[in-house]
Amino acid sequence: MGINKDSNKKKSAGTTNLAQLTRQQLRDLETKEKTVGQKVLDGIIMVFPVVCGIIAILEYLIVPNGSSNDNPNTYLGALIVFLCAYICYGLIALINKLRGSKLVLEKFRYRAPLFSALFLLLAGYDYLTLKTGIFTQPFVPCMNAILNIAWIDRAYLIESTLHTLRLLFLGYFIGVFLGLITGITCGYSRKVRYWIDPIIKFLGPIPTSTWIPIIMVIATSLFGGAVFIIALGSWFAVTVASMTGISNVDKDFFEAARTLGAKERQLVFRVAIPHAMPSILQGCTQAMSSACTAIMIAEMMGVKAGLGWYMTWAKSWSSYDKMFAALFVICIIFTVVTKILDLIKRRVLRWQNGVVK
Amino acid sequence: MAKKKKVTLKLDHVSKSFAKIENDEVTHALNEIDLTMESGEFISLVGPSGCGKSTILRLVAGLIAPTTGKVTVDGKEIVEPSPERGMVFQKPTLFPWLTVKDNIAFSLKMQGKLRGNEEKVETMLKVIGLENFRDDYPGQLSGGMAQRVALVRSLINEPDILLLDEPLGALDAFTRMNMQDEILKIWQEKGQLAIMVTHDVDEAIYMGTRVIVMDANPGRVVANIKISEKYPRDRSSETFVRYRNEILNRLHFGGNRAD
Repeated sequence: MGINKDSNKKKSAGTTNLAQLTRQQLRDLETKEKTVGQKVLDGIIMVFPVVCGIIAILEYLIVPNGSSNDNPNTYLGALIVFLCAYICYGLIALINKLRGSKLVLEKFRYRAPLFSALFLLLAGYDYLTLKTGIFTQPFVPCMNAILNIAWIDRAYLIESTLHTLRLLFLGYFIGVFLGLITGITCGYSRKVRYWIDPIIKFLGPIPTSTWIPIIMVIATSLFGGAVFIIALGSWFAVTVASMTGISNVDKDFFEAARTLGAKERQLVFRVAIPHAMPSILQGCTQAMSSACTAIMIAEMMGVKAGLGWYMTWAKSWSSYDKMFAALFVICIIFTVVTKILDLIKRRVLRWQNGVVK
Repeated sequence: MAKKKKVTLKLDHVSKSFAKIENDEVTHALNEIDLTMESGEFISLVGPSGCGKSTILRLVAGLIAPTTGKVTVDGKEIVEPSPERGMVFQKPTLFPWLTVKDNIAFSLKMQGKLRGNEEKVETMLKVIGLENFRDDYPGQLSGGMAQRVALVRSLINEPDILLLDEPLGALDAFTRMNMQDEILKIWQEKGQLAIMVTHDVDEAIYMGTRVIVMDANPGRVVANIKISEKYPRDRSSETFVRYRNEILNRLHFGGNRAD
């Protein structure tokens, strides 16, 4: 897949004016040219996921089913869409490369083995569930069943998802907001720390889930109680992280800022907070993972809505396929949320790029 | 802000003591210091570590207050840091989350004076020849570049007094000599009062109009030597060597210190 234009590029880079070298050209100049063997291997690695995808499709179509399978085309369609998406990605990478930008192709090459593994995993899972029943049906439902039920029960799933998201973000943002306030003031002011520190020391070690039974008893609304629990966990993580971040600010920075005319308030907002940003964002990520745990426990134990509740509810009706469908939705939500946080972090902390490497 | 106003800096019977952290003892960093300095002077402070040279700068900057005595500028006592007294530290202490340009603009921004003064930032970038690094972060700069940025970051306020706390201490020999000339050039143009702490006797003589020699335990001034040679100075000239010998003698080099 597009490996024969390399030598041309090399020559053109050689004649480029060194003073106007772009980052990409520099990299091209300094990385060793790949041997023919390596190029062929790269090509194979990039095409292999397509082979794996076809294997998964053929496995699904050819191997006889061990149990009944309604609406068999859903999974087949999903596989084909998936495969097409991969091929499109490859084509985009190839077009970019022909236009002179190798970056997309390099990323594509880097990710290719994972796609192979994914297709093989799907084929293997299908074989173990639907085809042979080594994982007994319907306790561990096959992909086709999961996709079908997800589609059939979509209205309910979407409603549950929205409920979960609402609860998650409400609790998370309340917790992060309060955590930032207490953490930053504690980090900066000894007097505030004197009062807040004992609370953190006393409440901190208690896992958030411990609160759930208590909240279930005393809270007037379960939703409010769940928000409280999620907020508490997030608050704790953010408070501790931003407090440490702020109190670790090098005193030299404050002195330099003061000789440059910064006043007290500016020392907090222009020096202490930016300096503590890596730590604060670390706390926010941690808060999210604690919020995700808390929300699932809350929904499974008391709150009568949301994906966690949906899962326990499905289990009580022995609808295992629904359980798995909800599991996948949860998985997708948390992945996306974490990814978004990561992107924010990278954007805010771009000044660290040069320092960390 | 066309012509710089003349200022007189006075240290009047200034003593400064610090409490030690580990025990109840007190360190006497400065003992009864009397000094007068004026605009147009370039003062070099030399002496062994612990003699209180940096303490003097920090007192003048307003970062710390004297235990007894007074530090005044034109009769007005110094109570807090001010951009009128710019300070450059041994570490560049550039804010790593701000670009080079924003670091230089920091002071104007803090004082709410940035709007309408953006060209000043550009001028400063040009002074140190780092126009192409405008949007880089400090993490990507070399030590010399970072220290240049730190220098113009405090110069942008056109301070009456420029305090240099071993600003060249961490640089390699070549960068160091280059920057000595750069600092002298800036100082000669603006004619402010510059006070520089250094460990390097040659640097002190090369740059200063006056070298103040200090000693420790307790920190005190032992000599106040006027250097009347013209700039640029020749590091190997006879007078230069004479000054060096005189200062080294004052610092008791070779002999035992009689306290």
